[in-house]
Amino acid sequence: MSLSAKYGKKRIAAGFALLGSVGLAIGGLSVDRSAQAAAPAPASSPAPGSPAPGSPAAPAAPLLQTNPFHSGESGFVVTEIRYALGPDGKEACPAGMSGGMRSLMEAYAKSPAGQRLPDEADRAYQGRMQRALNNTPDGKNICMNPQLGAEDPTWRMVSGRNIKVEGIDLDGVDPRTGKRQQADTCTHEEFQGTAGERGVDNQLFRMIGCTTGFQASGMGNGWQTEMYTGSWGIVMSVRGVDNTQNDPDVQVGIYANADPLQLSADRRALPFATYAVDQDAHYRAETHGRIVNGVLTIDPIDVRFHNFVNSMNEDRVLRAARLRLTFTADGGMEGYLAGYTPVEDMYDVQFGARKSRDAKGQLAPERLRIGTSVGRAGALGYTCNGAYRALLQAADGHRDPATGRCTSISTQYRIRLAPAFVVKVPTKSLNAPLAVR
Amino acid sequence: MMKHISKFRFGTVCAGLALALAGGISLAQQSAEPAKAAVVEPAPAGGPLVMRRLTESQYRATIADVFAPDVPIAGRFERGLREEGLIAVGTSHGGMSAFSIEQYDTSARGIAADVTSEKRRAQFVPCQPKSATVFDKACATAFIDKYGPQLFRRPLARDEQARFVEVARLAQQRLGGFYQGLEYTLIGMLDSPHFLLRIERAERDPQHAGQQRLDAWSKATRLSYFLTNSAPDTELLRAAGQGELDTDQGMARQVDRLIASPRVEGAVRSFFWDMLYFDGFSDLFKDPTIYPAYTVAAARDAQEQTLKTIVAHLVTDRGDYRELFTTRTSYLTRPLGIIYRVPVAERNGWEKVEFPVDSQRSGILTDLSTLALHSHPGRSSPTLRGKSVREVFMCAKVPDPPANVNFTALDAVSKPNSTARTRLAEHNENPVCAGCHKLTDPIGFTLESFDGAGIFRAKENGVDLDLSGSLDGVKFTGAPGLGKALHDNPSVPMCLTNKLYRSAVGRDVATTEEPFLEYLTASFAQNGFRVIDLMRTIALSKTFYSVTMPESKPVGPAGQTASAAPKGDHS
Repeated sequence: MSLSAKYGKKRIAAGFALLGSVGLAIGGLSVDRSAQAAAPAPASSPAPGSPAPGSPAAPAAPLLQTNPFHSGESGFVVTEIRYALGPDGKEACPAGMSGGMRSLMEAYAKSPAGQRLPDEADRAYQGRMQRALNNTPDGKNICMNPQLGAEDPTWRMVSGRNIKVEGIDLDGVDPRTGKRQQADTCTHEEFQGTAGERGVDNQLFRMIGCTTGFQASGMGNGWQTEMYTGSWGIVMSVRGVDNTQNDPDVQVGIYANADPLQLSADRRALPFATYAVDQDAHYRAETHGRIVNGVLTIDPIDVRFHNFVNSMNEDRVLRAARLRLTFTADGGMEGYLAGYTPVEDMYDVQFGARKSRDAKGQLAPERLRIGTSVGRAGALGYTCNGAYRALLQAADGHRDPATGRCTSISTQYRIRLAPAFVVKVPTKSLNAPLAVR
Repeated sequence: MMKHISKFRFGTVCAGLALALAGGISLAQQSAEPAKAAVVEPAPAGGPLVMRRLTESQYRATIADVFAPDVPIAGRFERGLREEGLIAVGTSHGGMSAFSIEQYDTSARGIAADVTSEKRRAQFVPCQPKSATVFDKACATAFIDKYGPQLFRRPLARDEQARFVEVARLAQQRLGGFYQGLEYTLIGMLDSPHFLLRIERAERDPQHAGQQRLDAWSKATRLSYFLTNSAPDTELLRAAGQGELDTDQGMARQVDRLIASPRVEGAVRSFFWDMLYFDGFSDLFKDPTIYPAYTVAAARDAQEQTLKTIVAHLVTDRGDYRELFTTRTSYLTRPLGIIYRVPVAERNGWEKVEFPVDSQRSGILTDLSTLALHSHPGRSSPTLRGKSVREVFMCAKVPDPPANVNFTALDAVSKPNSTARTRLAEHNENPVCAGCHKLTDPIGFTLESFDGAGIFRAKENGVDLDLSGSLDGVKFTGAPGLGKALHDNPSVPMCLTNKLYRSAVGRDVATTEEPFLEYLTASFAQNGFRVIDLMRTIALSKTFYSVTMPESKPVGPAGQTASAAPKGDHS
């Protein structure tokens, strides 16, 4: 069968995008000399209401050497993803950094109960301290039950003034409709964006920005490592693009990747690889979007991805997710994926592994979940009870009408995408017959 | 092993001649005019007997066919000796190093251990010993009689059989078990030159007084490795034993049976793997910082892509050989999809694709395999690509560059606004270089729309590529133009005929065989350039089995002559 026949008679060539008979837009890249004059906005494009790219105030845009779209379609794979953050240290945290488990242990060691007993071995003493600090008096693990833990007096929220923080405005007024983009939010202080724009909603940064593990070089932002081991990934499709600079209506798909990232010998993600979307509809989201002055944005939509830590997986959820992406010279995109993560989900995916599942989808062994949670808290410099309370305090989205409290927290991801081919095909594993039934 | 100089051999093009031929017809074309309707086989002339070493693929296929495909082969194989453009010819030239004998022994021990293992002996040993302690000569003999002829591709002589039985007995005596005895006697067979080498034997040809022909077992062996790349199966050995291969009808029955079997694919694969220099992939390097998409998986799949295309077109579809240079049909895996920038929905296998007309992909010359193999680690090479087209597909010989060539201009790959064409123009200001480059570069320039890793590009260093070129006076543009020019060039099918025959007999063409090659070329054309039909023509010819050994002396029963002294009887 010819490619053109198989993929819906769309012309393909080296690097041309096509539409699969298997059902979905896929992407690619072709040399398009006419596109060289088309300059997309830079990644730091201002949010709605700020100077538009191309205006005198906008910075110079990179030359788009390649046009990812052919027949109005293209696919992309996320190759970099991390939390969008603000500045480190005192600039963001004039009141100091959160104390975390270390300060708790130091305080406990000075208390009468924390004194080392006569003839108590090192290991026994350490174990007694761990139990005392990680468990409630009746023996329940605090990371598994953070609501039972006491307030963490050493927790610090970001309180720096006039700091510039990565992200986009999630609840501002949409100039197209004149309505707030997210109505059911709670009062919160907004940040200034990296380009000076106002209204950046990034309460996750406010909550974690004074934690050592989430500083720019901290380990807390290293979770994309498992994306490079092939444990999870994200792909996108963009269809119906008539003009890569301005198009009022395009279709955007955001999916969990069912395939591992294809890597070069030095473990860089390769462009133009083919990826299948996740078979589970929960991990597929499709919405409308638009391109304005080279910036792709979408109507908000709930998305869900996989996350993988210590052989356990859980869902990384984003409600009312939005994109703000610009096209890059290599045919990819970069910018922000942002939205609201339910507080309980954010706690589970990033702090206490209360609901993490094993490979069979069953609740993972408690010992593994507790070990992961306690270890992560110690390594990243927070307490589980402190994180949980901070999440509730910083929550700014999806206000519960009954309680008046917000249930989700604005979460911003900084992402880069490479051109790819995205297909919908059955993704049965070669190892499926070996799976334990 | 004798080596004849053939007038039918294609031309070696030196620098001086190249200058003379700059705008015209190649020596290959001059010296190899297509035969004129010579569709009747000339009187068989034949060539010398040869003794050929099994190639790696033949060794593996033989063990798989005699025992089972999952019997492990643990030894490493030396890289084949390439002679006159073919490893198949080199198999009759080189000796065996001590290293390779050691590795053959490693393989033999692994194979024998597996075949006689407790887990598999019921599968492979045709009988059970009557006693756990007393040597069962009858059962050992049955084992040797079953595998000896298959491995040696002929019946064992009585003293050979007795010797292997004795080895089994002694091994049991020393090691304590009947199956250990079988294991050691099987190691002996697998280490024997009668297994590792295809030793051809001749006999008097009763139909042509004063002439010799291959004996029935040698016929069966030559035929089997030619059509299946493996040892004769039991049916072919039976036919040989009953003299059926000495009759036209009997031979035709076996030829048609083998050609109809799926095993013919192995022969076609093996021949083209050899012809296309795919052994070069074992040390092909690409700079990963320049070509990150050229991964180990892509390199592995690249070879298979081309072989799959060839097999599908030539074997499955019985297509015209010349269309291999123009077909837009191919097969891709996901690692290859990254190179070709084409989606491959199939996650774990191959997907048949057809490239668009305007894609510049045209036949196997635009496959990653050939594009990457004939490029440098960090840049493409119109010269290497043109040279490979001349040598691989047209049987011309382009000399290596002189030792004192200055490559400075060619290595300046990042020079602003430069392309390979402009760099080569600068390089070719040296007239010593220009001669050969005029033969290679006009071909290679047309493939410049693909970089050193086979990825499409429209520009180099920001400059639009000039894809114009020529071949033997025919001008064209781009890879599709080159494919069409090769399709129409008479040297191309003639070269294929030459190489296929030389691969089949394992030696260069004898002078006396030139009329036969002309006959084959004409027959090839008459049959629509179908390679399987050409293989059948060769397999059914008299020449394929005839032998010229005027100096030979009969050394065996019934006037047999062997290509080696019968020392193997004591191996």
